[in-house]
Amino acid sequence: MIALPYLNKKLLALNFLLALFLFGGCEVTLAPAYDQAIVEKVTESSDLAMRFFAEVAGGTSSETFGVREPIYNVLIGAFESLKLQAKARPVPENVALEKINELLQAKGSNAISGEYPSAFAFEKIAETFKKMKHTDRENGIKPLALQAFKGQVEIFLDQAITYESFLKR
Amino acid sequence: MANDVTTIIAGIKDIASGILEKDISTVRGFSERQLEAIAKQTVIIQKGIANGDIDEDLREFFLDGLEAMALNFINTLKGILMVTLEKLWNALVNFLYKAVGVVV
Repeated sequence: MIALPYLNKKLLALNFLLALFLFGGCEVTLAPAYDQAIVEKVTESSDLAMRFFAEVAGGTSSETFGVREPIYNVLIGAFESLKLQAKARPVPENVALEKINELLQAKGSNAISGEYPSAFAFEKIAETFKKMKHTDRENGIKPLALQAFKGQVEIFLDQAITYESFLKR
Repeated sequence: MANDVTTIIAGIKDIASGILEKDISTVRGFSERQLEAIAKQTVIIQKGIANGDIDEDLREFFLDGLEAMALNFINTLKGILMVTLEKLWNALVNFLYKAVGVVV
């Protein structure tokens, strides 16, 4: 009775390998292709974002919002465009992946889909700059709020860059 | 025959450990960075709420952000795992096919 969860785990792993063996054929593709253009653009955009955070460190005042508005627009546009580029890559389709997705769903996990972690991260970064722009225009941004905006952008950037770089295999 | 089996097992082990060691070190570095950054972010939000720098509206925004970044941290690990699995599988298949004399 106690051994049941352990056996279930072993069986899932066995099923997973069997699926690869039976349906995989020779080589399999389980993740999207590496895209040098995305990596270059994210490097350039993250550089711009970090320079902007350095300029406004310590907080902002709504009276000077006009000076920063064009930079917000560039940043929002850059990360929304990165989201589209990342999402535009086709999800690898093969019988092995279908079988893996069936197994993941049977175990209550999300299937591997076109919702790449980098695309999600780019979307969240764009949303963060939109919220930052709105707050800056309305009331200005206080120091700790600014640090929180920066922290949020950095965490999502790390997720996107790590995933995209890892696709180079 | 026994020598062939030993050679094949050694080859498989080399391939698997070569790929896994490199990828696990990347995953470990990423996980440590993320956990530390998420912990720091939580403290910044706490302090910001306490001193009034973060108002009610921003509080909700940053709390949603924390949830989204934790979820995407897991999804990034899942994505990385799929790449590792793919590399491992393809390297092993190539090695085994070569061992039986099939050109892939």
